[in-house]
Amino acid sequence: MRRFGFLFAAGEVPLARDASARFLPWLIAFMVYLAALALLAAVAMDAMAARWQGDLQGRLTVQVPAPGDPTNAQARQARLDRTVEALLQTPAVIEVEVLARGQTASLLEPWLGEAARAPELPVPDLIAVTLRRADAGLGDLAQRLEAAVPGATLDDHQRWLARLFALAGSIELLAFLVVALVGAAAIATVIFVTRTGLAIHRQVIELLHVMGARDLYVAEQFQGHALRLGLAGGLLGAAAATLTVLGVAWLLRGEQSLLLPSIRLGWLAWALLIALPPVTGLVAMLTARWTVLRTLARLP
Amino acid sequence: MIRLEEVSLRYGEGPQVLRRVGCHLEPGSFHYLLGASGAGKSSLLKLLYLAQRPSDGRVSLFGRDVARLTRRDRALMRRRIGVVFQDFRLIAHLSAFENVALPLRIAGEPEHRVRSQVSELLSWVGLKEAMEALPPTLSGGQQQRVAIARAVIGRPSLLLADEPTGNVDDRIATRLLYLFRELNRTGTTILLATHNEALAARMPQPRLRLVEGKLKEEPADTPPAEPAAPIPTEATGAGAR
Ligand SMILES: Nc1ncnc2c1ncn2[C@@H]1O[C@H](COP(=O)(O)OP(=O)(O)OP(=O)(O)O)[C@@H](O)[C@H]1O
Ligand SMILES: [Mg+2]
Repeated sequence: MRRFGFLFAAGEVPLARDASARFLPWLIAFMVYLAALALLAAVAMDAMAARWQGDLQGRLTVQVPAPGDPTNAQARQARLDRTVEALLQTPAVIEVEVLARGQTASLLEPWLGEAARAPELPVPDLIAVTLRRADAGLGDLAQRLEAAVPGATLDDHQRWLARLFALAGSIELLAFLVVALVGAAAIATVIFVTRTGLAIHRQVIELLHVMGARDLYVAEQFQGHALRLGLAGGLLGAAAATLTVLGVAWLLRGEQSLLLPSIRLGWLAWALLIALPPVTGLVAMLTARWTVLRTLARLP
Repeated sequence: MIRLEEVSLRYGEGPQVLRRVGCHLEPGSFHYLLGASGAGKSSLLKLLYLAQRPSDGRVSLFGRDVARLTRRDRALMRRRIGVVFQDFRLIAHLSAFENVALPLRIAGEPEHRVRSQVSELLSWVGLKEAMEALPPTLSGGQQQRVAIARAVIGRPSLLLADEPTGNVDDRIATRLLYLFRELNRTGTTILLATHNEALAARMPQPRLRLVEGKLKEEPADTPPAEPAAPIPTEATGAGAR
């Protein structure tokens, strides 16, 4: 118990009265807030990419171009039949669903409005294909489709997924960059504040030293102080970030969008928010300890 | 207990404060350290309480060369040395009680022992009523007694006192001298720096005299310099090595 006394005890160095005790928590809170938002963005982006991948895995979309005369329903149907037949001959395929003209039209409606339903529009037909397994081999399906209906294309969504992952990856990278920069700034601030404290209280510290205090005796007073300030700042910052995200989610409530990352706090997000304050406190504490020990090593 | 060999001290590019000084003080001894203002008494004590490294030469305490101690052992050695600083160095925001308690806290004494020992000693030096007072609210003499109490609370083997009677009247000065003698009788080695020849004459003990950076030993029975006279130009009975 004695070993952790520094967590609560004030000690002889009157750090709690320094100006740093007032401004440091706010400064740290601001930095933690930025870091938390960056981390939450990365987590949301990652979740969205994972959701898309889960939805699209083992699924293909086949596009069958419309016949020369888009209004010719018979020709359209014949082309679809040939395509479906080619698909069903493939062992990996377990389900084939031809999207009704109406479904395709409603996909286009946001862009074309009522015109999307016009029969003369040369809209390709879409066939959703489900595979037995995500990585099932398709053999020469692409060629057979081309043979069945020239121009029919097979889309396994890999290109779209790859771009989505690239985007998610860069946002994550950016987030980690922000966290690293903010962390470095926070550490530099704690070092600076600790050095200032050492200078302000130089006389008391030298006295303790001359009386035979180990460097740790002084370091513990500083690290306890830094831990308390770091924890306070971390709590403030994490709370502000939580409120921000919940606020944005509330503003966007009811908005359904496939492309917006889900604005909910998943377990990972909560875990990050809960971990941030103690991590901040710990980093502040270790930084202060290291700074004090390094500085005191210069005393005889 | 204390051995200086060829010790020199110079602050940066300043003048040489100590010039190849040597001396040996036995355990249990009681010496005055005399010398004019600026002679280097405080500087010599600083070497002995390990707040300053000599520019040259060897300082040994408790039979060990201090330059060769580990950092940890130096800290432990400092705990065996009580220091009364010329400027007291009381911590202004801590009560007299907390100031005196410092060495015990540093040594990790349990709280109940700290309470009883500090109260007892403060009563003994006549500061029972001032225990909770902050040093700036105490008189110079009271502060000095707090400083002395702090120096002796840890029962040091070596007590270094720098002008410990500078701020008190003759009556209290004599009382403090008796306190030091009592401590000395219980085994504490004492080195008391002062420029007050009259004080040293009141209770004769062997003396070390600093003159122009050199240290000379004088036995206790050396006739004292005239109390009111200016500092002698020539040290009598020089026993320097
Ligand atoms: N930290 C320091 N840096 C530079 N010079 C110093 C330092 N401390 C003392 N000196 C110089 O060393 C010399 C001796 O000073 P010191 O304080 O040891 O004298 P003293 O004998 O204790 O004097 P006093 O009786 O007035 O206390 C003086 O010339 C002083 O200017
Ligand atoms: Mg002096």
